Amino acid sequence: MTGRPLTVLGVESSCDDTAAAVVTGWPGGNDAPRILSSVVSGQTDLHAAFGGVVPEIAARAHAEQLDLCVARALADAECSLSDLDAIAVTAGPGLIGGVLSGVMCARGLAAGADLPLVGVNHLAGHALTPRLTDSVTYPFLMLLVSGGHCQFLAVEGPDRFARLGGSIDDAPGEAFDKTAKLLGLGYPGGPLVEAEARDGDPERFAFPRPLLDRPGADMSFSGLKTALRRARDGIVAEKGGLTRRDRADLCAGFQAAVRDVLVEKTRRAIGLFADRTGRRDATLAVAGGVAANGAIRAGLEQVAADAGFAFTAPPLALCTDNAAMIAWAGIERIADGAALDASITARPRWPLDAAARPLVGSGRKGAKA
Amino acid sequence: MQPDAPLALGFDTSAAHCAAALLSGDRVLAERIEPMMKGQAERLFPMLEEMLAEAGAAWRNLDLIAVGTGPGNFTGIRISVAAARGLALSLGCRAVGVSRLDWIAHGTHGPVEAMVDARQDRVFVQPFVDGAATGDPRQTALVSLDPGFAGLRLTDAPATIADIWPVPVRCITPAPADLVRLARRAPADAPAPAPLYLRAPDAALPADPPPVILDDA
Repeated sequence: MTGRPLTVLGVESSCDDTAAAVVTGWPGGNDAPRILSSVVSGQTDLHAAFGGVVPEIAARAHAEQLDLCVARALADAECSLSDLDAIAVTAGPGLIGGVLSGVMCARGLAAGADLPLVGVNHLAGHALTPRLTDSVTYPFLMLLVSGGHCQFLAVEGPDRFARLGGSIDDAPGEAFDKTAKLLGLGYPGGPLVEAEARDGDPERFAFPRPLLDRPGADMSFSGLKTALRRARDGIVAEKGGLTRRDRADLCAGFQAAVRDVLVEKTRRAIGLFADRTGRRDATLAVAGGVAANGAIRAGLEQVAADAGFAFTAPPLALCTDNAAMIAWAGIERIADGAALDASITARPRWPLDAAARPLVGSGRKGAKA
Repeated sequence: MQPDAPLALGFDTSAAHCAAALLSGDRVLAERIEPMMKGQAERLFPMLEEMLAEAGAAWRNLDLIAVGTGPGNFTGIRISVAAARGLALSLGCRAVGVSRLDWIAHGTHGPVEAMVDARQDRVFVQPFVDGAATGDPRQTALVSLDPGFAGLRLTDAPATIADIWPVPVRCITPAPADLVRLARRAPADAPAPAPLYLRAPDAALPADPPPVILDDA
């Protein structure tokens, strides 16, 4: 069924970007969806000195930026709240202070404008982005790889995700940040480590490729971080510091190890996806900041091509955290007939695939993602 | 009541409660304090909507939002401030932040120190005379409070907490309606409500120094 295009405001504040966007469209409609505006107010400078996102600093910034981002997104889209069909807000998973601020701001907006509100899973926002940007059809295979997440998903519908594998500890983006911190490169680490690695020798340090010896598509990156620290400490103990050559080689070795793990596990995830769906010609989509890494992306494109899968990666601005993906996920949920209930609750933990065995953070509060 | 008379709504979740008041002029149409340790984010909007319904009013009747900005529980402060800013944007009305210390000192006479429990043996404190601030709000250790202070010390902390403080303090429950009364005094160009934290975020700089970078041999 094709419906009238919906115009939805998206609000996102689950990590270190405050974002608001207006998107119009209908899944599978005759016209491709359009992003009328997308405002992202980042906090990189606030967290730089700490080498990573500090939750309380992030929450403070979100609380005072959310309404300003929404006002700008509406102005950029040249529309007012009365032109909207609904508001979609990230209700988790993420840093609870930011998620809560976003949910409360959205509840205020929805109450005052008398609009329905839909709570969106942040990961569903990323996972459904290829449908916004490239009209990719279900089912497709998604590799979500960022500073906070790393998982393979068979995306079978707006609310149907099967996790085929994921990191059992750190996310690769976090490992890039920690590597940059250990090597004195700054923050965020991804682009800085990639730039250093360009002149480095990836063979000099034999970093581990964790879990490649085990079947399945699960991954681990915390041992790699430890190996890098040991290699660094070894050189520092010997020479009293690192030369630029040492640093470039460490970066190249680290990046090659991450790439090799992601490429091999993607190969296996494609097999798992084909077994599950019976599809051998679907799309591999990647999203998340780590997908911006040229070496990793090239490796993933190759493995997709080898398997006969199409490859797509949304433009970088829609690969990293943004609110257009939240607005779009809201449109998908509404078109799918989701019940709209203003009484949404912020959830720090919210796995997309509720049936899957928890990978990380499976403490008394349940799986993180 | 005329259904379309402009109304003012005040609310606060900076402590272990959801507190709110709905006023028409100075007439209090609804006022509530629901004690709760958690769940303010879930309860706030349903409670406000119940109060509007009781008064036969709707969100669009509001022309002023008064919101408690703390000091107090950081998450609780953000719950209300974010909600107030979202409401103000969608309703096209003003939102005004009210300090919890101003709220405690409202309507008092003579010298007063308003105090809010800051945990870890500390308090947030501010001096007032006749309800008007005479100094900035600050965080201080309980032991450094002046035992010779000649005025009245007031707090909204429960007696179970304030009784063990080293100085005598009177415990009160500020009226939610006073949030609105205080907000009405704010200048027309008052900034958007912002949390009053009075404490830096808990964040440690990296202990591990970056390596020395040597010249390539």
